[in-house]
Amino acid sequence: MKRKGLTGMSFSSAQYILRETLNSLKRNPWLSVASIVTVMVSLVILGFSAFFLANASNMANMFESQVEIAAFAQTNLSQSEVLALEDRIKSMPQVASVELVTKDQALLEFGQSLGGKKGDLLSDLGGTNPLPDKLTVKANDPQEVAGLAAELTKLPGLETVSYGQGVVDKLLPFTRWLRWLGAVVVGAFTVASLVLISINIKMNVFSRRREIQIMKLVGASNWFIRWPFLVEGLILGWVGGILAALIVGLGYRWLADYVQMTLAFLPMVQNSALFWQVLFGLIFAGMAIGAVGSAFSLRKFLRV
Amino acid sequence: MIQLNNVTKIYPNGAKALVDVNLRISKGEFVFLVGPSGAGKSTLVRLLFREEVPTRGQVTLNGRNLVRMREREVPLLRRTIGVIFQDFKLLPNKTVIENTGFALEVLGVPAKEVQARTRSVLDMVGLSHKTRAFPGELSGGEQQRVCVARAIINNPALLVADEPTGNLDPETAWEIMDLLYNINKRGTTVIMATHAKDIVNQMKKRVIAIEKGRIARDEEKGAYGYEL
Repeated sequence: MKRKGLTGMSFSSAQYILRETLNSLKRNPWLSVASIVTVMVSLVILGFSAFFLANASNMANMFESQVEIAAFAQTNLSQSEVLALEDRIKSMPQVASVELVTKDQALLEFGQSLGGKKGDLLSDLGGTNPLPDKLTVKANDPQEVAGLAAELTKLPGLETVSYGQGVVDKLLPFTRWLRWLGAVVVGAFTVASLVLISINIKMNVFSRRREIQIMKLVGASNWFIRWPFLVEGLILGWVGGILAALIVGLGYRWLADYVQMTLAFLPMVQNSALFWQVLFGLIFAGMAIGAVGSAFSLRKFLRV
Repeated sequence: MIQLNNVTKIYPNGAKALVDVNLRISKGEFVFLVGPSGAGKSTLVRLLFREEVPTRGQVTLNGRNLVRMREREVPLLRRTIGVIFQDFKLLPNKTVIENTGFALEVLGVPAKEVQARTRSVLDMVGLSHKTRAFPGELSGGEQQRVCVARAIINNPALLVADEPTGNLDPETAWEIMDLLYNINKRGTTVIMATHAKDIVNQMKKRVIAIEKGRIARDEEKGAYGYEL
């Protein structure tokens, strides 16, 4: 016999591997079904926790993006001084954006909200605009809001700086907790699904340990023994992954629609790129888990 | 062909299976390994196809050192050795022809060649009329013939048998011995661990007796030498 390289593959070997895989699937149909269901259930849980994580993180982002600092310029500043102030704040490294609402704009809006015509309010006020120029500042990182606000207070020309202290101080720990919870849920279910699947594969390998032992004794290479298990794991994982993707995909669509109708204030992530990423990720994860799990469970039995 | 130098095997549980064994077996020999149960016969047999590795000492087979051998070379070694077991080790869900051809299939031999060689070797062990039967449908002697067929299909230089007649009645046992005798005649070295006193005494081959892990006796044309 010539050596066939590390994987021991040749045309007849490939035939053999395919035949063995099919035989094994036919021989233990219930074990195959059990494996598929295990992969499916684990991946469904994993898929939903991935969407939970996405939503948790989205919600946290949304809450945090609403945190902003309102800084009011002293009323005696000229228009150009206010613009210089705006540029100065923009150049600060922690600042994401600055939006300037001039006192004229503010008065206009205020007037409109009272239902009056342009100019009416100004003349009613005796020709002077009492409103200050307002600078709305957003921080790069919501965690830095308090520090940034303190720094802004020190700037000359700014009068009042406020950022809804009470809300932010409560919101930040909450969003941090929300992200952690999402990550922990995904992590825990990943581990749980790996354990479930590896138990299943071990049963399969165990039921064929005699065959493996004999193959070893007649001189089959480890790769030759491994291939049928890998292909089988791959197929079972693939089927389980597709079923899981269907369930998660349809389930999430339905859930998102339902939440939108009943709890409109709760924003659900409706990002279709993410949606397909998660679904294809599930199928890929199923195949990877099946193949790697098989190879891993075999290790013990290959040491004959 | 086979050489054991100062081989000691101690199992993880502390049992000393072999102690300082030195042994040399030439090509084409027929050797019986005898001795009480647990004396180390099976361990010695397992060292030869590297199911076990000695704790100390060296095992050489055809110039290859089995102790220093790398894990991925082991399959190549085993392709040159046929092994026969007391419990046959056949796959219950494969037919006679599949069980026999298995040893070739795992080497990637093309299906046609597997067919041809399997038929000829089954013919040789006298099972050409039962190729489609499953092991469960065969008698013990027939199952052992399948095992022998599988062991010799690769034309191994060495045939190792661990109590091949242990589960067979005397008449069937002799049929298997005839097979082994003929295989040996064609130049294959045969090493057989056994308790079959009559067989050992009548064959008049080299007998190596092992007691408590040591070689107690090594005689050309020897006898079993134990009274049970």
